[in-house]
Amino acid sequence: MSNPIRLRRAVCVGIALTAGLAAGALPAAAGAAAVNLGTAGPFVVLGGAAVTNTGPSVLNGALGVSPGSSLSGFELPAVVNGARHASDGVAASAQSDLTTAYDVAAAEPAGDLTGTDLGLAGPLTPGAYSFSTSAQLTGTLVLDALGDPNAQFVFEIGTTLTTASNSAVLLVNGASPCNIFWQVGSSATIGTSTAFTGNVMALTSITMNTGATLQGRALARTGGVTLDTNVIDGSMCGTSTTPPPGTTPPPAASTEPEAGTNPQAPPGSRTTLPTRIGTATLRRTPLSPGAPGQPRRPGQPRERCTDGFTATVRGRQIERVVFRLDGKRIATRAGSPFKVVVRATPGRHTVSARVTFRDATAAKTMKTRYRACSAAALQPPPGPSRFTG
Amino acid sequence: MIQGEPARAPRRPGLRRGVRALAVPLVALCGWCLPVGTASAAAPRAPAVQPLVALLESHAARTGPGTHARRIETVGARRPLTNVRTVLPELGSAVDAHGSRWLHVRLPGRPSGHTGWILAERTRRSSTGWRIDVALSARRVTVYRDGHAIRRFRAVVGAPATPTPRGRFFVEEAVALSAADAGGPFALALSARSEVLQEFNGGPGQIAIHGTSGLWDPLGSAASHGCVRLGTRAITWLARRIGSGVPVTVTR
Repeated sequence: MSNPIRLRRAVCVGIALTAGLAAGALPAAAGAAAVNLGTAGPFVVLGGAAVTNTGPSVLNGALGVSPGSSLSGFELPAVVNGARHASDGVAASAQSDLTTAYDVAAAEPAGDLTGTDLGLAGPLTPGAYSFSTSAQLTGTLVLDALGDPNAQFVFEIGTTLTTASNSAVLLVNGASPCNIFWQVGSSATIGTSTAFTGNVMALTSITMNTGATLQGRALARTGGVTLDTNVIDGSMCGTSTTPPPGTTPPPAASTEPEAGTNPQAPPGSRTTLPTRIGTATLRRTPLSPGAPGQPRRPGQPRERCTDGFTATVRGRQIERVVFRLDGKRIATRAGSPFKVVVRATPGRHTVSARVTFRDATAAKTMKTRYRACSAAALQPPPGPSRFTG
Repeated sequence: MIQGEPARAPRRPGLRRGVRALAVPLVALCGWCLPVGTASAAAPRAPAVQPLVALLESHAARTGPGTHARRIETVGARRPLTNVRTVLPELGSAVDAHGSRWLHVRLPGRPSGHTGWILAERTRRSSTGWRIDVALSARRVTVYRDGHAIRRFRAVVGAPATPTPRGRFFVEEAVALSAADAGGPFALALSARSEVLQEFNGGPGQIAIHGTSGLWDPLGSAASHGCVRLGTRAITWLARRIGSGVPVTVTR
């Protein structure tokens, strides 16, 4: 049998260790100065030497290059919803402001995360975080703005930034992609199908592999930017005054954890595109034969005359179900199981179930009709005759 | 004279006699032409909606709302004839010193119409708008729904030697009888028991409202052993609507 004193001591040590780990996992970042992109702000992609694209990439914002002049691969099927600036004054000015912003970000006092995979860093709160060498993201990094929409996150990376395939940066509690800055000392490589977020400011080059998405900007100072079937959206940060036709740029608040985890999201979709994976079906199951006064007549077809049933809604992402009988609300279920017992009353009736989903799936209403004749409403079970007569 | 009561003009004796002379035949006439939906003067007042309580498990019935009260009996969660769940009319409720809620319910069996208290735990409450009144002298059964009389049937009631017990009872269970059983095709087994027959046909002398299958006494007679007999159409209509717990009042 365990010693209670020792057990209590162990619990105390465990609590202290947990608290220490929690504090240690998130190094305290000192107050940071705001990073301002200046004239680089309208650019969603800005390269130094060249910008190259392969496949049907979509850029929601300006595209530029300076001092180089090569913008290749941006003819159809690629789409650029913004201006193009190749080695002109606008691009040069943007590069100048990018350098300033890069330097401001690099000078932020930061907590050291060197050697820590960003995917294991846990939810990070606003502040600056530094990596003396390279930084790696494997999995999901959650950035929690703690309810402050102006909260700023700065990542100062000494050499390279690399993300594994299918990684993601998720923003919660009001975090905005516009206020996230990745200051990369050399090059950044965004892995295949990664859903990345923030303004990537690389000293040399930026490569986005096939299907990667970026909500923010890809800004390279000296090298090139290489794209391959990507969606880069900075419209929420003012990079584009003409939103792409047929799409609605999601607000920053829509960057909830479910975003980016959509298994049915098409390649190239943004991280914060609202998921629509909710499903719902309405089924009827007869009441148990032992229910009082409700047994079904033997051999009676259920379709013709029901004596009551359980209406059950099953599916995914269901948040709430409102059941109505002939338009009158009879039950509301905010948690599983989403079901209600419908006692048959003589006549024809309609039971409807209005389903709302946790994700962006549109609410739907399902209906089932039934008819209960009076004979079915109550059918006494057989029994012996032991009465006085 | 009560203060504030308006003074009445003195009535003439001759006028009073004339009103009486007119009223007697009118009342007699209305005894036959009473429209369905108008309760007779003899019918006891009852709530339009009767609260019910279904037992989810067996309960001990006590004389009062508390464990200190004397235990009367144990009420099973199922009825003995058809094994349906026991449903009792709820007459009231109370909370004991320990905060437990008790329900005052009418109980089945002897003495007919007796009541007791059960714990509200492991019960399910509902209600019914149905009510049945049996008028023995008129040999008539009136069915009420939501306080309105909607059907009235002629009936056979208990013979003078084996009278139908009077009082407030309820339907214990509805039973579909076989074609070979007398009194089919249906029976509404009541919570009442015969005051004369302690045992009948293997049963506890239980009173029922049932049909007339195999029985030849004419409707409107007093010839049964205590049960109330209705025509086949009438009992079929009732059996399709009346469930367990529906109150039944038997008056003279």
